[in-house]
Amino acid sequence: MIAQLKEKPVRSAQHQSEKQSIVLGINGVNVYYGNNHAVKNVSMPIHDRSITALIGPSGCGKSTFLRTINRMNDLIPGAACDGEIMYDGINLLNRKIDVVTLRKEIGMVFQRPNPFPKSIYENIVLSLKFAGIRGKKVLNGIVEESLKQAALWDEVKDRLDQSALSLSGGQQQRLCIARALALKPKVLLLDEPSSALDPVSSAKIEDLLLTLKEQYTIVIVTHNMQQASRIADSTAFFYEGEVVEYNDTTMMFTCPANKRTEDYISGRFG
Amino acid sequence: MNSRLLNRLAISLIVACAVVMVGTLAALLGYILYQGVSQISWSFLTSDSSAFQAGGGIKNQLWNSFYILFITMLLTVPLGTAGGIYLAEYAKQTRFTAFIRSCVEVLASLPSIVVGMFGLLVFVNYFNWEYSILSGAVALTVFNLPVIVRVTENALCSVSEEQRAAGLALGMTQWHTIKKVFLPAAFPGILTGVILCAGRVFGESAALLFTAGLSSPNLDFTNWNPLSANSPLNLFRSAETLSVHIWSVNSVGIIPDAKEVAAGAAAVLVISVLTFNLVARLLGRIVEKKMTGK
Repeated sequence: MIAQLKEKPVRSAQHQSEKQSIVLGINGVNVYYGNNHAVKNVSMPIHDRSITALIGPSGCGKSTFLRTINRMNDLIPGAACDGEIMYDGINLLNRKIDVVTLRKEIGMVFQRPNPFPKSIYENIVLSLKFAGIRGKKVLNGIVEESLKQAALWDEVKDRLDQSALSLSGGQQQRLCIARALALKPKVLLLDEPSSALDPVSSAKIEDLLLTLKEQYTIVIVTHNMQQASRIADSTAFFYEGEVVEYNDTTMMFTCPANKRTEDYISGRFG
Repeated sequence: MNSRLLNRLAISLIVACAVVMVGTLAALLGYILYQGVSQISWSFLTSDSSAFQAGGGIKNQLWNSFYILFITMLLTVPLGTAGGIYLAEYAKQTRFTAFIRSCVEVLASLPSIVVGMFGLLVFVNYFNWEYSILSGAVALTVFNLPVIVRVTENALCSVSEEQRAAGLALGMTQWHTIKKVFLPAAFPGILTGVILCAGRVFGESAALLFTAGLSSPNLDFTNWNPLSANSPLNLFRSAETLSVHIWSVNSVGIIPDAKEVAAGAAAVLVISVLTFNLVARLLGRIVEKKMTGK
């Protein structure tokens, strides 16, 4: 089991503002798919209440790395990992931890909106009921609160009993975010959440993430470098499974320390 | 020009096939109903069949058909869906599960007369259940189980893999995700399989000849004690179903109005299957709406 967050703030020695504590301490993480060494010795801090963007060309291991954090890679046969991701004093990569509890605290939103083929209301309360939250009033309250947080409430409040599949792609993705927020996670992982959406919906998601940052720690994988520069506080550049550069976003996009980072963000490859 | 011609040709061929198919079906249905509907009357539906006089009814046979259908479904649906869930969600791709799959396929394509012989040897003789509803229902379960297993497996596999990720990422267990997301999403597919099976059970005669028997005791519809010999609910009495009755009056019956009785029984059979399909689909749609939202 993952214990409640003990107040043990670890001071960041990085460029980040001095007061921000580290939520996920990532140290020497390797991921293998069979013989394929997909993520190589990745270390970086994920700061509390900030947005960390993972950028890099396709197949560079950034999504794999993201899916390692909440152990979704366990589902893939032949996937193995080592190293440590320290969260609340516990190594998340430890085989013995309860992944169900872990995933309640570290939520995830996927590239393609994947609401359940159920009503909007059911989409949100399904996992709450499984988590043991009962009572119509309580559930209704959480539904309203999380839909408001995901900036979807005004659009769907009159049709909560309709199928989630009747929503547009952008609304579906915000519903998926609402569904993840309903569990009150500490960390929200997003795997290219707006790449399947039109620019307007995408902009809505970005605005939403900037608001959510006040309360949640967000890690986002994105192909869109403008998106990273617009919303992220820190950015990590992945290339061939390695983190080439990790830095404050403004620093990274104005004066990248590494030649390959510079080439990538200026569009010379990738 | 050539490809356009080919396109037209293909379309007309497909339309022709569809017309032939629908035409055959309509002709068959029309013939059965035309021959049979005039024979159907309240007394035909509510009187006992007669052994050698004219004017017998089909009351017991009709009841037996529905009762065997019910018992068979009671056995088949839970077992079959459980097997389908195992194959679709839990079974690893090993030689053993591949073997199970091919066994299921072979079982599904067994001729029903062979299933009947198997039922006779195992349930009727070896288990000593004699000619009974239970023997018949278990034989039909053997016959229909593989269909439900395959249908359930296919229906579950057609639910997107992303749904599984969604469920797990929300801190739900695999079983809860299957129960609350996969099964409801697969429900229409499973229901179609169940309806197909029900039609097969209703129309089956070969497998029942040797297991449920060719006769039926005179049922007392006021006696609902399942242990008493002439109760309609008794599982251990022999039970001639409607389709077996059609076969027997036509081939071994000595009643003078065999032709009329067979025609009437056939019409009742067809109407029952159609009604069952419609009602099941209607109920299915209501249940689905409840589970998936409007």
